[in-house]
Amino acid sequence: MLLFRSEEHVERWVGAGRGPRGALLTLEQLWGLAAAWHGDRMDRGWRRKAPEEAQALFDSLGLSGEFWRLG
Amino acid sequence: MSLDADVRLHIYRRFAEDGRPPTFDQTAVAIGSEPDEVARAYRRLAEGRVIVLEPGTSEIWMANPFSARPTTFRVEAAGKWWWGVCAWDAPGILAMLSVDGIVTTPCPDCGEPLELRVEGGALRPTEAVGHFSVPAARWWEDIGYT
Repeated sequence: MLLFRSEEHVERWVGAGRGPRGALLTLEQLWGLAAAWHGDRMDRGWRRKAPEEAQALFDSLGLSGEFWRLG
Repeated sequence: MSLDADVRLHIYRRFAEDGRPPTFDQTAVAIGSEPDEVARAYRRLAEGRVIVLEPGTSEIWMANPFSARPTTFRVEAAGKWWWGVCAWDAPGILAMLSVDGIVTTPCPDCGEPLELRVEGGALRPTEAVGHFSVPAARWWEDIGYT
């Protein structure tokens, strides 16, 4: 995932052929994802999220639709 | 498995303290297990996508959210700094270590530096958006690109 100044900068980047258009996230969604995904990594009992758990996290952050479907 | 947790936590702690991962030999010595056993733990962690090894080696490229190779995501906190794998992982380092800090990265379009500040465990509002080019189902086809 990359960080852009704004949606307009993403559009310009895509328009210049520098990468494919994908999905945008707000900073709130990005931080929610970062904190939920990595916040417990120092726990001894940490385990990687199962696909259904990851999907539920995406849904809870409003990241839904085909782009966010894990399989 | 207990050995896998020991190895995983050792890798994270060295990254957190030193800004880079331990070598395989350093991990084996620190864990105090036979190198063969530690090598198997590394393989299991790599198969479980907890770490990514430099191709053809037993050395660590990524232990998300950390990257051993330089990236465009620099994370700074408490007098230390790290490379984050991507815009998701870079603030994830701060969440993982429960510290306030700053993520800096250039906007891929204009090249101007962007700054994300985490203070009091929350991300301060700023003008920026995240963008994923690769759909979720394909993230691990080429994790270095994703």
